[in-house]
Amino acid sequence: MKSRTFLLTFILFLLFYYSGILIASAVTLKSNLDSSKDRSLREHYFIVSSYAKDLNALEKRGASVDDVIGSLYRSYFDFYSKQKVILAISKEGQQLYTDLMAESAPFPRTPLISKTSDRLVSTEKFKGKEYIRVVGAMPAPYDTYVLAYYYDVSDIFSSWNKMTVMLLLSGILLCGLLAVCLLLVLHRVFRPLQQISAASRSIAQGQYENRIEVKGHDELAEMAGSFNHMAEEIQSQMLQLATIAEQKQQFVDNLAHELRTPLTAIYGYAEYIQKVVRTEEDKLFATHYIMSESRRLQNIAHRLLDMATYRGNKIELSNVHMGDLIRGVKQSVSMKAAEQQIQMIYECRFDTLLCDADLMHVLLVNLINNAMKACGSDGIIKLVAQLENEHKVISVQDNGKGMTEEHLAHITEAFYRVDSSRSRSGGGAGLGLTLCKQIAVNHEAELSFSSAPGKGTQAKLTFTSR
Amino acid sequence: MATILIVEDEVPIHELIKRNLQSVGHTCISVFDGRAALDKLAQNDVDLVLLDIMLPEIDGHEVFQQIRGTPTIFLTARSSLSDKVKGLTLGADDYLAKPFEMMELLARVNAVLRRTKKESKDFELDGVKVDFESRQVFLNGYPVECTPKEFDLLEVLVNNRNIALSRDKLLELAWGYDYVGDTRTVDVHIQKLRKKLDMDCRIKTVYKMGYRLEV
Repeated sequence: MKSRTFLLTFILFLLFYYSGILIASAVTLKSNLDSSKDRSLREHYFIVSSYAKDLNALEKRGASVDDVIGSLYRSYFDFYSKQKVILAISKEGQQLYTDLMAESAPFPRTPLISKTSDRLVSTEKFKGKEYIRVVGAMPAPYDTYVLAYYYDVSDIFSSWNKMTVMLLLSGILLCGLLAVCLLLVLHRVFRPLQQISAASRSIAQGQYENRIEVKGHDELAEMAGSFNHMAEEIQSQMLQLATIAEQKQQFVDNLAHELRTPLTAIYGYAEYIQKVVRTEEDKLFATHYIMSESRRLQNIAHRLLDMATYRGNKIELSNVHMGDLIRGVKQSVSMKAAEQQIQMIYECRFDTLLCDADLMHVLLVNLINNAMKACGSDGIIKLVAQLENEHKVISVQDNGKGMTEEHLAHITEAFYRVDSSRSRSGGGAGLGLTLCKQIAVNHEAELSFSSAPGKGTQAKLTFTSR
Repeated sequence: MATILIVEDEVPIHELIKRNLQSVGHTCISVFDGRAALDKLAQNDVDLVLLDIMLPEIDGHEVFQQIRGTPTIFLTARSSLSDKVKGLTLGADDYLAKPFEMMELLARVNAVLRRTKKESKDFELDGVKVDFESRQVFLNGYPVECTPKEFDLLEVLVNNRNIALSRDKLLELAWGYDYVGDTRTVDVHIQKLRKKLDMDCRIKTVYKMGYRLEV
């Protein structure tokens, strides 16, 4: 591209420059010749008329024309030859007094002129010199004599030649200069392109943080800008993909751990029954654990299935009466709340909510269960449904142990446990909040948490779309 | 036998390990988090620590760095190579990834104890006394002639006492992986041991399973 542009520009320049020179010099030459011709015509006319006058005067004094014409011609010839003009005179095509011109010419015969008033102008070349020839008859009564006027224009031609050579030489010099300048300019122009191609290569190799320096406000800068924008987009998308992949990996790792622990226990207790157990009590003890661990696996499987279902299916929204919804939730949690001696408070400040009643029930029960785990006995859990900035908001507030910012960021991740040991003393499969989040997303609602260690946690569900 | 500290927060697995170790005659101390483990270690004389890595309060690696000196086997659900290498470079005596078989745990516990425990390695039951150091067996104070394989078999039974061992397992443990032979070899040797040591009621046949030395 660069070399092509260079060649093309260069050739075009040469073409225009030299044709310019050619035209200019041709025009100059032509105009010079034209003015010389005019001058020659005028002079010819002047010479011819003064010649005729002189002849006339001499004739009146009684001299013969044929004699006088020779002497007159001699004096005229001498006078004009100093001005680079050669005069020739002829009668009926016959060159007269050729001896004078011996040193300067064998000039060709002066052509015959049909009409006496006509004058013939032409450029002739003799002995390597250019001449303008004007041929014309003398005025009557001497019109049998024809005067040829030769004006030497070699100077014009030689100066024209000199000028042409000068122009050509300067042209070559200019071409050299132009080539250098053009290369520099092209280098400057193409540098951003090279940078862009280098940057795109490095991006293709996975170095997404590479950017191009943007200078000025021209089209290239604009292109560099949009290229940078593209690179940024790619980088952020790649980052997103990497994060998603990492989350997936985390999920799989966690799932493996979650499955491995109960499996170890189940296998271990089965082995224990097979190889060690001798009393009925031992057997009961072992089977109890096998059953509870199996249930745990089942629980995980159910939750995973639920999540897959909620993710894939579009939910059907209907206007659900808040009273019904809260009554259902109350029924589900009241037993456990009473067991743990937790005080439940329900507040509702709007009537209906556009949602899927079953899913919303699952979500709220899950949130309350989490709150119960955090509380221990003598806790207070408050479920509040109210309007905030014209958005419907349902919040679940507990006064339990709370958690740090660091944990808050991860609690909706599958299998994430606030306790790093992943102990199940709190129970559950570690999928509850992941499920809640999925349900919230299905309802186009935002699920957020705020908490401080020792001060309890608030889960807040904000319905943004309505 | 040895005193073993079990540090594991998953209750079912904790119970399982404890019961298995107790059945082969070890004394177990149970703790469920890192801090308690350090407390118990300060109070008791412990021969071996079974240490889970993911623990509440203080994690396994940290606990291990503070108990330098006591033989330790790491138990963990993380089975990646880097985790194993980390565990072993820290200086652990062994590393066991969940899920594991109890037999494997017992074998490793025995191996570590054999390496680290300095006191005599005798086993006594009824009138039988087994001296593992000199590889001698005594019945009521009188030495009993045993072939090397019979002694190996007895050692396996003693180390895994109260645990039923299949004939295949016994072949593997006493004869080695590369032994090509009938499982009836095991039956023959067991019969001989029972006769020589008068252990008919101790070495029990477990139906459809194998044999168990009951203590």
